Amino acid sequence: MSKIGVFICHCGENISATVDCQKVAEEVGKVEGVEFATDYKYMCSDPGQNLIKQAIKEHHLTGVVVGSCSPRMHEPTFRKTCASAGLNPFMCEVANLREQCSWVHEKGESTTEKAISLVKMLVEKVKKDQPLQSIEVPITKKALVIGGGIAGIQAALDIANCGHQVILVEKEPSIGGHMSQLSETFPTLDCSQCILTPRMVEVAQHPNITLYTYAELEKVEGSIGNFDVTIRLKAKSVDFSKCTGCGTCQQKCPQKKIPSEFNAGLGTRTAIYVPFPQAVPNKPVIDKEHCNYYQKGKCKLCSKVCPVGAIEYDKPDEFIKENVGAIVVTTGFNVLNTDFFPEYGYGKYKDVINGLQFERLASASGPTLGEIRRPSDGAIPKKIVFIACCGSRDPAKGIPYCSKICCMYTAKHAMLYQHKVHDGESYIFYMDVRATGKNYEEFVRRAIEEDGVKYVRGRVARVYEKNGKLIVKGADTLLGGQPVEIEADMVVLATAGVSNPGAEQLAQKMHISYDPYYFFSEAHPKLRPVETNTAGIFLAGACQSPKDIPDTVSMASGAAAKVAALFSQKNLVREPVIAVVNRCAPPVFSTCVGCFMCETACPYHAIEREDIKDRKGNVIKTVAKVNPGLCQGCGTCVAFCRSKSIDIQGFSNEEMYSEVVSLLNS
Amino acid sequence: MDNNNEFEPKIVAFVCNWCTYAGADLTGTSRIKYATNVKIVRFPCTGRIDFMLLLKAFAGGADGIIISGCHPNDCHYTSGNFHARRRWITFRHMLEILGVDVRRICFTWVSAAEGAKWADVVNDNVANIRKLGPYKEYTKVAQYFEKEAYNEQD
Amino acid sequence: MSKIEEKAVQMLGGDVKTVLGYEKGSKGTRPFFCHTTEDAAKLVYDENASTNLAAYLVKQEIKDEGKIGVCANTITLRAIAQLASENQIDMNSLALFTVLDEGKGDVKDFASVDDINAYLADKPLPDSEKYDNLDKKLEAMTSEERWTFWVNEFSRCIKCYACRAACPLCYCTRCITDVNRPQWINPWPSPMANMEWQVNRVMHMTGRCIGCGACQNACPVGIPIGYLSRKMLVDMSKEFGYIPGQAMKDGNSLSTFKPDDQENFIH
Repeated sequence: MSKIGVFICHCGENISATVDCQKVAEEVGKVEGVEFATDYKYMCSDPGQNLIKQAIKEHHLTGVVVGSCSPRMHEPTFRKTCASAGLNPFMCEVANLREQCSWVHEKGESTTEKAISLVKMLVEKVKKDQPLQSIEVPITKKALVIGGGIAGIQAALDIANCGHQVILVEKEPSIGGHMSQLSETFPTLDCSQCILTPRMVEVAQHPNITLYTYAELEKVEGSIGNFDVTIRLKAKSVDFSKCTGCGTCQQKCPQKKIPSEFNAGLGTRTAIYVPFPQAVPNKPVIDKEHCNYYQKGKCKLCSKVCPVGAIEYDKPDEFIKENVGAIVVTTGFNVLNTDFFPEYGYGKYKDVINGLQFERLASASGPTLGEIRRPSDGAIPKKIVFIACCGSRDPAKGIPYCSKICCMYTAKHAMLYQHKVHDGESYIFYMDVRATGKNYEEFVRRAIEEDGVKYVRGRVARVYEKNGKLIVKGADTLLGGQPVEIEADMVVLATAGVSNPGAEQLAQKMHISYDPYYFFSEAHPKLRPVETNTAGIFLAGACQSPKDIPDTVSMASGAAAKVAALFSQKNLVREPVIAVVNRCAPPVFSTCVGCFMCETACPYHAIEREDIKDRKGNVIKTVAKVNPGLCQGCGTCVAFCRSKSIDIQGFSNEEMYSEVVSLLNS
Repeated sequence: MDNNNEFEPKIVAFVCNWCTYAGADLTGTSRIKYATNVKIVRFPCTGRIDFMLLLKAFAGGADGIIISGCHPNDCHYTSGNFHARRRWITFRHMLEILGVDVRRICFTWVSAAEGAKWADVVNDNVANIRKLGPYKEYTKVAQYFEKEAYNEQD
Repeated sequence: MSKIEEKAVQMLGGDVKTVLGYEKGSKGTRPFFCHTTEDAAKLVYDENASTNLAAYLVKQEIKDEGKIGVCANTITLRAIAQLASENQIDMNSLALFTVLDEGKGDVKDFASVDDINAYLADKPLPDSEKYDNLDKKLEAMTSEERWTFWVNEFSRCIKCYACRAACPLCYCTRCITDVNRPQWINPWPSPMANMEWQVNRVMHMTGRCIGCGACQNACPVGIPIGYLSRKMLVDMSKEFGYIPGQAMKDGNSLSTFKPDDQENFIH
């Protein structure tokens, strides 16, 4: 015997401009089982909610349908309202009359008719709704942070300082990420390593942080509060418990000419290596791809010279399993290499470099010890051309977005060059200058007014080599498109920020969404920037989209706050939209016949087998059982079951059937 | 406003909550207009959609059906849309054998960011079904007892 | 003594209580439960029997009898393999054997589903040409003509559910037509309700159907439902790349998927 209350919201004018809300309430009020129907200007406001609460109490309502904005917006609000009035929150449904009706149709009879059918459809659903109780799941108060750049370091420190255990996993031999490769940071020209390394050391020494470097995420199972993760510890070939970091092995290693990833290809390293002098942990690993022993079976010089016998060859990768309550993804980004640009030489010209390579040149611990020198002949360039927006904002190259940091770092590069080479000339070809952060505009002004950097508004059509110089052919649009040709000694391309290779596979391992550029997707672009659509997995930093250091650090702290909020609860309260296999009286026990097709189909392996036994312990039949902690409520099993023995609470067979049938009959 | 006798199709859309429903919400937030003929029923995942619902929809008088979910590999529940895809390949083949007009069923992937695509899907479908006309053949058989169609000689 | 009789006597002397096989009936063969060694002489082998013995093996009364010997023909073997992979038959409770060369050769025992699959690997589905004419006729029709054909056929159905009873793979203790809430399939015998029932039955069979034709033989009004199940079996096995009629151990065609399943009708 249903007593449904129907509440139609005007949403100010958002709904009432095209839908006749009063008529909707009137018409739905005539449906059998609807006890009370009304309309109101702002249902989600306090007086609106009080209206619902009063109606529930006065009319003893058994269900509520609210016709308003999208349920994705306010379903939790209205469910809380019902709960506070004593009605089970899952007996409340929301009809989408705004995003999917009033906002997309013109004012008219058919729009109002559609609104009426949508509300009637949910009235029929509510009649079949069952009261449900939320599920409580215990939370493991340990977090996993994937990626040891500045975002990962910040997030790990914040969570660890709350008193929770953190596991930080980094795939390179050292933490630090791209920030450790920078020379100075805008807008303060702080030395990057000087501000980063104290944090790196803090991470290594923090009692709550377990650091795994040269390690990658192998597998993720489970769900929020209870993720079972498998981490692959790649074989380092060095026993860190014995290694003292003396560095003798690196001095003696015969393979000295391997291009150094840390120096963006401009310098070299050995096969047994520490990526940079301030690495944390400051102990080497062997690069198997370039080691004489692993490739040819010879050498083994490092093990001979190691004073403590720390070298251990041929160890397999180790796998460790951990149970964590939340995961923070901080895997960062990459920049395009110069070989992406055919018009700038396909990467063939040694003196055409990208921004990261320029950082290494400018860095005091870089391959040229901080002097700006041409990679081709080591000469100091007297004229440098910087080209902004290389690849970014270019739909023809498949990168329509803005990479956010390039305008600022190009200005910074030009300033650093001018500081180091007083008689040098620098030109920046730009489209716009995006200097939006605090003190950013003043920084760019300083580059132009104090350091004499010349800004030319226009794009560069071609760069080619002639007589040892690089000819840059561009245009100056502020002079009406006048062609500009500069004979430069070096060209620096501010290449686009892109996602890391392997981002897609990582996202699929964790079941998080990503956009067409393989940046990970946030749950809501405005209001939920640090969460993903997968509960318990959070994002921070450039893996979500290119950003500068202040924004990255803010986001990392934001993600850490979300993790801390999660861990501050005793138990996680989950929505009871899960599948249940029916049970009934003996001798049937359950209409389930135990074919277990649902078991194979379940993406979360949430279906188990249950033996139904008689008093002697003999098995009568084996049926399916759903593990409420693992089930995420997708309902795939329900559509498979031939005997319809498994049903999903909240979207049950009865409910969906009534919805569809009512939609067509109205 | 339907002041002429032009046929207004009745189309039901079965969509998944995480992608297409969110995409349709985005269409609303972007204020892109589309036809009123399509009514959306929300499911947690396309994997939940039972094939018998399609038959019930046609029997109830629907002239067209849209089924939409997340793109492959992007399912919020990882593989629900893969199972759904298998199911639709099988079911669509079955319907073809039986002579059900499968042109009236549109399967599509619309992600949460594709608000404009949803509007296009709706408008294209309404135009398509309008051309195909009402699905009289199905409803006539479905209303066998109600309309005493068994007395008609065919 | 025939080879079957020898085997049956040997089994009944051991731990087997009953041997299930065929005996000669008034028209062809019929299923026979042999309890004594004397009756063993009545057992015959029939490759083309119209009743599938596997349909008995899922019944609780038969399971309660303990270890049962089964003289299976090819189609029964297929059904047993499929049922075992769906947890309905415990292979350890069966003493399964067949007679090679369609009853003329030696006896062969089977211990597991893999044994059965290996034996069946090169055997074609039975009666492959039976439906060819109908297939050609229907393929030549337009969609509307096909609809008229099937509506006409289904107007004759009387909802006797003999197809369900005869099928070895239809073993749900409570069929969805029994627990018909919500009412997925209208219970009355109108053409639409009959079509809904068959659509449901054939969809539930997809990937599991062994092509035995028991449903076709059982239908009292002769609707070509065997054609429907067989066509779906063959077409979907081509589509999804599995061998028709062979039991898949980790799920069947509908409960598994491939990332590159055909998608050309999806926008």
